[in-house]
Amino acid sequence: MLSKSQARLFFLATTGGFSLVFLGLTVDTILQVPERSHDADLTPAVVRGKHLWEDNNCMGCHTLLGEGAYYAPELTKVYERRGPDWMKTFLRDPQAMFPGQRKMVEYHFTDAQIDDLVAFFQWIDHVDTNGFPAPADLAPPAPAVASVAAVDLSAAPSTFTTVCIGCHSVGGRGGTIGPALDGEGGRRDAAWLDTWLTDPQAVKPGTAMPNLGLDPAVRQDLVAFLTSLH
Amino acid sequence: MKFQSQRIAWLFFATCMLLLTLQIIYGFIMGFAHMGFDVLHDYIPFNTARATHTNLLVVWLLTGFMGASYYILPEEADRELYSPKLAVIQWASLVVVSVVALIGFHLNYWEGRKFLEIPRPLDYLVVANVLMFVFNVGMTTLRGRRYTTTGLVLLVGLVSAALLYLPGMIWFDNQVLDSYFRWWVVHLWVEGVWELIMGAIMSYLLIKLTGVDREVIEKWLYVIVGLTFVSGILGTGHHYYWIGAPEYWKTVGGVFSALEPLAFLGMALYGVNMARRGGRKHENRIALYWTVGTGIMSFVGAGFLGFAHTLPQVNIYTHGTLVTAMHGHLAFWGAYAMTVLAVISYALPQMTGRKLYNTWMAEWAFWISNIGMVAMTAAFGVAGITQVYLERRVGMDFLKVQDAVQVHFGGLILAASLFTVGIGLFIWTFILYGLPRRELAADAVQAEPGLRPAK
Repeated sequence: MLSKSQARLFFLATTGGFSLVFLGLTVDTILQVPERSHDADLTPAVVRGKHLWEDNNCMGCHTLLGEGAYYAPELTKVYERRGPDWMKTFLRDPQAMFPGQRKMVEYHFTDAQIDDLVAFFQWIDHVDTNGFPAPADLAPPAPAVASVAAVDLSAAPSTFTTVCIGCHSVGGRGGTIGPALDGEGGRRDAAWLDTWLTDPQAVKPGTAMPNLGLDPAVRQDLVAFLTSLH
Repeated sequence: MKFQSQRIAWLFFATCMLLLTLQIIYGFIMGFAHMGFDVLHDYIPFNTARATHTNLLVVWLLTGFMGASYYILPEEADRELYSPKLAVIQWASLVVVSVVALIGFHLNYWEGRKFLEIPRPLDYLVVANVLMFVFNVGMTTLRGRRYTTTGLVLLVGLVSAALLYLPGMIWFDNQVLDSYFRWWVVHLWVEGVWELIMGAIMSYLLIKLTGVDREVIEKWLYVIVGLTFVSGILGTGHHYYWIGAPEYWKTVGGVFSALEPLAFLGMALYGVNMARRGGRKHENRIALYWTVGTGIMSFVGAGFLGFAHTLPQVNIYTHGTLVTAMHGHLAFWGAYAMTVLAVISYALPQMTGRKLYNTWMAEWAFWISNIGMVAMTAAFGVAGITQVYLERRVGMDFLKVQDAVQVHFGGLILAASLFTVGIGLFIWTFILYGLPRRELAADAVQAEPGLRPAK
């Protein structure tokens, strides 16, 4: 039967042994991380972005690399998912994008700070995470392209292809949170669309459509593009 | 209780009760926010509530460990505490630093690193505080009239916990390394050296409560803490799967964290077996409930539910979802909260001379809080599995999924209310015990008061 001194030896030997192995693997990890995380791209802007990320405890709601809280979306691949323009629009007024939904704190970031945060997310996006997050393997197949006519987006204003497309689709491409905009030109006229984009809540109280505070010129471009959709 | 200075533990235990109450309040704030009632958003946004909730947990558990050490180590060393005055100063400074940190969280003064939100300037005060504590208990042990395994394991656990706080204070520009070393603190605490503290406290309580020979209990203590480190050190790898660390961590972390339940199974069997073998039964039955309970619930919460999502092929979907909250709640409750409540249940009658154990209130406190916490875990589990399925596998939008799981937070709040009733009864019992009494220590020299032969 095991004696107390044998038990002590077991404790000391295993603890010592496994600690050494752990330290060895740590050294190897430290050597590999610069390449896996593209350390060369770690610009001052990225580091400033990391400071902003920590100083405002973004991890208190979001997860990054899967770590943090579960109140707000995972952000490891947000740069790929949303793109810089959408992110900048969102960060300028976080509560505007999803009206009536869960709220993010209004941080009143300056444009320079927003650029730093985007740089940080862009850097994180390129870290080799061994495949996390996994693609949604049970996702229903994308709607058959044949059911809607393909739309040439090369003429679309950039706001449309970077921001609107996050929620709306045309020609089977884009988000599903808002209605598809195929044929929008046949349903709405320019005056209505302009009023709508200026203040969606005034037209339809409680709508999920955000008031993005669009520049009048940008708004005109969007209206022109939308009325051209038939 | 044998020594006057052990009474200092009461200060720490009372602080625990206060912090636990606050922790529960902030938990409710978050539960309601998840249900869509974020009415406090402008004053206490979610990230403030979250940092406050988790840091209160860490602080009250550490406070409990400190109280337990001030109570246990003088007895194990067979002498008064090295400096009772220093212990009181240390308690006061701990309270001050904690209050400043918690107020800071409400004023956007923190560093957003999960579990280590205390900003770096305050970290230095934490270090100074812990040094005071370690010095005091260390000198008590060194100058003691005897060295026991229980005392030494407890001390080694405390000193290692203090040392492991340091890697969390290093600044890294690279988020990957930042995360890598943050887990040196968080993981190597809760799945490493805190288990030494837990094991030592359990061992002390089992010696006191069951009358089983110290040699036998301490032999198994070595085996259990050995198993903890066999699995726990390299088990850190389960935090390194997806943060940018090399791919071999998937194998290393997967294999060794799959062994982690063994250490907790050891804790459970340890508690149950020693309680059954005990030739003598202690009058304070409720302290034995909590002691054996912590072994069993740590196995269920930390061991079993941890294993449920530790393998990389599962974890790639569950990582960063409410499944983690499910495991986290029962693990911290079973392994550490219950350990602290066990030592409080044992020490209070000794310190105050009142025998309020085995009352209906003390007994219901045990059952209701445990049933409530298991129900909370189930609510988190259902919400978490639904989230994993809809968001990670079907690819639905985050906010839509959150709407879909809202109803489970209603269940969570009901379960949490039950839990709160249990904790309320525990705290009410604590208050009824009153203050520790001086004359008691002088005459309570009989070594193990309260032991009587089993029927």
